[in-house]
Amino acid sequence: MKVFSPVSVISSYNHCLRTVSPRKILWNGREYLITSTGLHHTYRQGRTLFHVFSVVANRTFFRLTLNTDNLFWQLDEIDDGI
Amino acid sequence: MMEFSRTPSLIMHLDLNSCFATIEQQSNPLLRGRPIAVAAYTTANGCILAPSIEAKKMGVKTGFRVSEGKALCPRLVILPPDPPKYRYVHLKLRRLLEKYSPVVAPKSIDEFILDFSGQSLPQNNLFLVGRDIKFQIKKHIGEWLTASIGLGPNRFLAKVASNLKKPDGLEEINYLNFADIYASLTLPDLHGINQRLTARLSSRGIYTVTDFYRASLPQLRSVFHSINGYYWYLRLRGYEIDNIDFGRKSFGNMYSLPKHHIAAANLAPILHKLVEKMSFRLRSSGYQARGLFLGLLYTNGTFWHYRRSYHRYLFASDDIYRAAFSLLLKSGLTLPVANLAVSAFDLIKNTAVQLDLFNSVSRSLQLSSALDNINRRYGHFVISPASMISSVSLVPDRIGFGNIGDLTEFVIS
Repeated sequence: MKVFSPVSVISSYNHCLRTVSPRKILWNGREYLITSTGLHHTYRQGRTLFHVFSVVANRTFFRLTLNTDNLFWQLDEIDDGI
Repeated sequence: MMEFSRTPSLIMHLDLNSCFATIEQQSNPLLRGRPIAVAAYTTANGCILAPSIEAKKMGVKTGFRVSEGKALCPRLVILPPDPPKYRYVHLKLRRLLEKYSPVVAPKSIDEFILDFSGQSLPQNNLFLVGRDIKFQIKKHIGEWLTASIGLGPNRFLAKVASNLKKPDGLEEINYLNFADIYASLTLPDLHGINQRLTARLSSRGIYTVTDFYRASLPQLRSVFHSINGYYWYLRLRGYEIDNIDFGRKSFGNMYSLPKHHIAAANLAPILHKLVEKMSFRLRSSGYQARGLFLGLLYTNGTFWHYRRSYHRYLFASDDIYRAAFSLLLKSGLTLPVANLAVSAFDLIKNTAVQLDLFNSVSRSLQLSSALDNINRRYGHFVISPASMISSVSLVPDRIGFGNIGDLTEFVIS
């Protein structure tokens, strides 16, 4: 299901592995603990770089996008796999 | 008769299995192990571009309609394409492969050729290299991604070898095993031999790949009526004739219309958007074009096309659109149009263009460049012609089969 709504995200940066990954999502009054990241990819819209994290939390898929111009997160898509 | 080449199998062909579908399964772990397909449109008439390995096992094939796929496999999950995701994986894979060989040639979004000629490698090492590449793909790009790898003395046989075992194969064709492998293949298994050529070969008594290999050069010349007969003679014997880069010959865009139109007024905004996309790519690559092609596929399956050469080189979107629209009017538009294609050919690099006396060309070039820079900075079509407004949601981003150009604007972290 396409959502395209702002979302609160807690992320972590590992300087040894040089990776950033979202850890927790707060959306619609609920908290989702991220258990795995399927793919992390990027794309540009004009000069703005977007980082897309496709993640799973508690048998629910989330597609999260980080706009690197304003560092705001957006929830693009949610899917419970049914 | 010329013998099969004894050149070691130093050409590697890598093919990412069910590329778009496995990338989607990599992205969304909930889809792994399930039959899924990426389709141009998710509606019943949408064309399936890439079924997953699970969907293929149930008989779903590339080119099926979504409704046909669903009839075979009711649980089939249909997804729309996500080109930035596929381009990202392509570029990441290209980066990874460049660590193994200085000669890495992408053949399409999911196919690469690595040339190990001139590198001091014992032959067995290429199997180790192949296994390591598979391991590194899983480690650095995605654990769900699998690749079929083929080794051969030339590009053609390396590709044939990569198709021998799918998914996740690692096979070689060489002078010791080629006869057995040829005996196990059919003519359409060979890349470049379609049903029409199969029929033509059969009419000359060539029914199998072994017959094809054993055919004499005069016999092949009589089948192909061109240099292609000689090329096939060499290809099947392991000699390299496909390592030629023909360079860029044209820029084009094509679109299957979701609603079939007959009136030029309805087709014009779509044509304008196709021209805008094409001419942006043309200019971004530093080219101008002197030829224009327009093709229309009508709903009854007939095809109308027209190509025209001009005295001056074209580069500005408006000029190209005016030329393309006049070609559209030539068609007469007798039936509803299902598919619209436009391309620019007879290319020349900007640097080789003759300067004009009154400077109007250079002013136009500067204007186009300024508009392109704005669109590059703020996103495509931020500035676009008013006549294109009704086609804003049409002509979405797509990856053409075999098209891996225009990837420079994408980044890898």
